[in-house]
Amino acid sequence: MPAMDQRQAMQGLTDVFRTVFDQPELVLRDDMTAADVENWDSLNHIDLIVAIERKFKIKFTTREITGLKTVGDLAELTAKKVGVAP
Amino acid sequence: MFASFKFLLILPLIVGLYHVVPVRCRVLFLLLASYGYVCTLSVRAALALAVATGFTFLAGKAAGNRRSQQRAYEAFLCSISVLTLYLCFFKLTAALPLGRFGRLAAPLGLSYYTFKLLSYVIDVYWGKIEPARNFAEFATAIAFFPQMAAGPIQRPADFLTQLPPTRTALWSGLSRLVWGLAKKLIVADNLAPTVNYVFAHVHGLHGASLLAGFYLFPLQMYADFSALTDIALGMGLLFGMVGPENFKRPFTASSISDFWRRWHMSLTNWLADYVFTPLRMATRSAGTAGLVLSITLNMLAVGLWHGFTWGYLAFGALNAAYLVGDVLTARRRSLYFKAHPNQDRLRTWSGWLLTTHLFFLAMVFFRCPRIGDAAWLLTHAWSGLGTLPADLASLAAATGANALLIGLAGYAVLELAERFRPDLWWGRVEAATSPWVRWPVRCAIAACVLGGWFLVTIRAGGHDSPFLYQVF
Repeated sequence: MPAMDQRQAMQGLTDVFRTVFDQPELVLRDDMTAADVENWDSLNHIDLIVAIERKFKIKFTTREITGLKTVGDLAELTAKKVGVAP
Repeated sequence: MFASFKFLLILPLIVGLYHVVPVRCRVLFLLLASYGYVCTLSVRAALALAVATGFTFLAGKAAGNRRSQQRAYEAFLCSISVLTLYLCFFKLTAALPLGRFGRLAAPLGLSYYTFKLLSYVIDVYWGKIEPARNFAEFATAIAFFPQMAAGPIQRPADFLTQLPPTRTALWSGLSRLVWGLAKKLIVADNLAPTVNYVFAHVHGLHGASLLAGFYLFPLQMYADFSALTDIALGMGLLFGMVGPENFKRPFTASSISDFWRRWHMSLTNWLADYVFTPLRMATRSAGTAGLVLSITLNMLAVGLWHGFTWGYLAFGALNAAYLVGDVLTARRRSLYFKAHPNQDRLRTWSGWLLTTHLFFLAMVFFRCPRIGDAAWLLTHAWSGLGTLPADLASLAAATGANALLIGLAGYAVLELAERFRPDLWWGRVEAATSPWVRWPVRCAIAACVLGGWFLVTIRAGGHDSPFLYQVF
């Protein structure tokens, strides 16, 4: 997959979020946290991570996942990972 | 612990001195006060705490070594293994006697401070925080005496960012203390005689009496444990330290996953971050099987954190089964109720009813000393319901009808107050009120704290009202 910036990553993430949380109208913002998205909790957080990994063909580590605080952090990490993906 | 005349006399003195010592000396003051508190209860516990803290401080330095990843990994692995073995050793020796040495009592606050230490090393290794530079600050974060005996489990990083404590919140702290003492004295202690009687005579009772135990114990536990949290958080505020909340009106939850986001939150958040998420990441390629395994191990850890007994194991296993059922059916339920929006109210109420009863059932295993007693209660609670009024009358006569009624009425007030939060309202309007209103209210709050604490202490002296969560 070619390198992408954070804005492009955010567009891709929006599709994933809408599918995983079954909210077709969901609009993501950089400063959003789990508290701002209905049904986003620790139980289904990894389902979201797996869906992102599949869409962008990347792999996250536990250490990377636990350091995320906002949707913006997730988009930044995703863009970075896609950029370095073989 | 908190309920002693010595503590009642010393606390105002410590708070007073804390307000006059220079800000730069406050951390050292808190450290000395915390170790002084632990030493008065057990010098052995203080030594164990100091050794575990010193070890983790050094291990954190090594785990935070950014130049050698290999060394950092070795230090991380070694320290979490040692701390986990330390915790498990005392949990095991408390459950299984060691030959001629008998049962070894676990050091005070072991389950709480070991989790603080573990989270610190893991956070440093994961790069979420830098290793602590100041040992006194780190040791204070671990030994902070309001949280020592019964939590909440505050991550050291959260505590350290509040240092040095330049401001205190005396009146907010006292209000929180009043709330905690009222819950303990009016609700928990008045429900306790009936609960204790039922669970001490499980095999001699049936029907309504057993049902009373089934329904009252979780209410007593919530009032008692959340009171202890209120007292710990209130005391923390007296020293300017804000701790994490432990409860968010758990008995209003409409699903079991919702319930576990509201009950003993400092423990469940800890386990979600350091047990469930790593497990789930490791098993993510296994799909549903990985999810089931992660939930099961996480909930067994919730149960066994309280102690290595069959009852706590059953408590964890039951909640694991509930959560797995909840998670695996969530999407189907969501689709059904989306297609039937007129049944939304039914969803909320049926969810609440089912969640409450499932948790109450698991609490029977938490409370009964033997699995057989729990099984007896659950299988005999539904027999002889034809004599319900007479059974309830005889139970009330045996345990005190007035206490039970006061406890139940108090519980209703507790739920209403937690819904409307008059303490938050007072916090907002307090500054704008005239001193002629503000100071009498403040004096009344201070008098309630002293009077309430005195009553708790007197009762604890008679060994009839220990806090339930002080034993972990």
